[in-house]
Amino acid sequence: MSATSTSYTPMNRQVPWSKIASYAFLLLLAVVYLGPILMLVNTSLKTTPSFMRDATSVASELNFENFAEAWEKANFPRYLLNSAIYTVSATAIYVVTAVFVAFPISRGYVKYSGLVLTLYVIALFLPPALIPQFQLILRLGLYNNPIGYILLFIVNPIGIVILVNYIKTVPKELDEAAALDGCGYFRFVWSVVLPLVRPALATVVVLHAIGIWNEIILPTIYLTNKDYYPITRGLIVFQGVYGSDWPVLAAAVLMLTFPMVILFLFLQRYIVSGLTAGSVKG
Amino acid sequence: MTYHFGRGRSRWLPYLLLLPGIVAYFVVALGPSLATTLFSFTDASGLPGAPVNWVGLANYNEFLFLGQAARDNLDAVGRTLIFMFFVTTIQFALGLLVAVILNQKLRGRNFFRTLYFMPVILGAVIQGLIWSLFLYPLGGPLAKFLEIFGARSEFLGGPPTEAFAWVIVVQIWANMGTTMIIFLAGLQTISEEYYEAARIDGANNWQVFRNVTWPLLTPSVNTNLLLNVIGSLQAWQLFLILLGYRNGTQVLGYLIYAVGFGQTSGSVTSSFRQGYAAAASIVLFLMVLVIGLAVQYFLRRREMRLMG
Repeated sequence: MSATSTSYTPMNRQVPWSKIASYAFLLLLAVVYLGPILMLVNTSLKTTPSFMRDATSVASELNFENFAEAWEKANFPRYLLNSAIYTVSATAIYVVTAVFVAFPISRGYVKYSGLVLTLYVIALFLPPALIPQFQLILRLGLYNNPIGYILLFIVNPIGIVILVNYIKTVPKELDEAAALDGCGYFRFVWSVVLPLVRPALATVVVLHAIGIWNEIILPTIYLTNKDYYPITRGLIVFQGVYGSDWPVLAAAVLMLTFPMVILFLFLQRYIVSGLTAGSVKG
Repeated sequence: MTYHFGRGRSRWLPYLLLLPGIVAYFVVALGPSLATTLFSFTDASGLPGAPVNWVGLANYNEFLFLGQAARDNLDAVGRTLIFMFFVTTIQFALGLLVAVILNQKLRGRNFFRTLYFMPVILGAVIQGLIWSLFLYPLGGPLAKFLEIFGARSEFLGGPPTEAFAWVIVVQIWANMGTTMIIFLAGLQTISEEYYEAARIDGANNWQVFRNVTWPLLTPSVNTNLLLNVIGSLQAWQLFLILLGYRNGTQVLGYLIYAVGFGQTSGSVTSSFRQGYAAAASIVLFLMVLVIGLAVQYFLRRREMRLMG
């Protein structure tokens, strides 16, 4: 280090090397993150012969037909509707039940609250439930059945832990005051607690819904009827048929990527707070 | 805690309303998870109505010791550990470096944060397909890049080791954002005063990082290390999308799925060997447990040393 580094504003008046290095690194990494997306956009606008001739040349032909073709042949409307049904219904069931689990645990209104919470916390470390879960659904006669598929997604232990922690920030005096005013337990949780924990609830909803929407393993295991496929499975099937026709496949992938990216820009803060919940305290 | 919402029969209302959620958790998740142990001692298949018999330790014996298949299984275990090692170390280091850089006052830092974090929302299918295209071997962008140096590669279609390495790359690309975000959250809790004090004492950038940032970042370090280790031991979705079930590339999670649900390869469909797959699940669980606890122990000791 130079002699000036002993003073406490070491490099400000010289060439800001550390800033230049920072930007160089960030831009290099940005190429790795943007590159694959740009390739996707570019390919989706090319004709197949043009892609075969030169995969990376800039799409001058702007061939939007790929999108129409993909939309129709990939059976998108059906699969998107299925995905939406699974995501919305499972998330709704989960969130409603989760609040009535998290609130009494957080307050200690039920016996063994601590133990119950531990059962949710250890879920991260437990063996995969895959095999017995399959046996259960099979024996219930819910294999290859949308109801059975939705059933798989009505639990999410991490969401419970996030809610329990957040409910602790709701003052306990509120319970007493509400009860004195003659407010019942159900109404209190539903119309007082629920609005107050909305930020945490939004986080839990967003994380859970994204997980269902993106799931690929479970639909592959549980759903054999094409009419029940969610969009993830539909896309893989489409890839199986059109795998070599990259422009059309790229259009299909892009049509699903684009809304997700837009959604991400709006939901980012909920995802961030979900992922960082508890991590700062340890 | 005192309960204010009535006595007698109405005292049971919280229990009643808690029931649906708890029952669902026990039936759908916790119960099946624990039952994996029981199934690992049976010859359960995936056929409805087929009898299930106890077979003792036969599944474990077969998985670990019987012939070529057992050697392949142990290779998959080894590969799982290699995958974990590279994903954890690179993702951890990269996430930390990016977070430290983006914690400075830089123009456009929100753009970079959003960009690096974005893949986490896309899910394995889109992540995988985007990279399949990016790694297109016949004149795709990376193929062209290699051409400059006179090199060429089949990427995902290449030799198993190379294909495996590309899955590691995509896995890190997809999840580095989460590590970065957790580090950024940790960095923002460190008070500016500590940095100023260190600067006044004449510390350079490296010394500030080593003696201020790194120890104060302990909670995020712990979270990230544990999440990365456990996450990468259990992750295999990208193998499914990028490679399929290909010899020389399988990790344990994929193997469990393949033997349990008869998808070992595209053309040959083996039977559903669910008891055997359950035994493999327990092997994976023990790996997660042992490595997870070892990491915990190591982190505790480190924390004591820093505090002491």
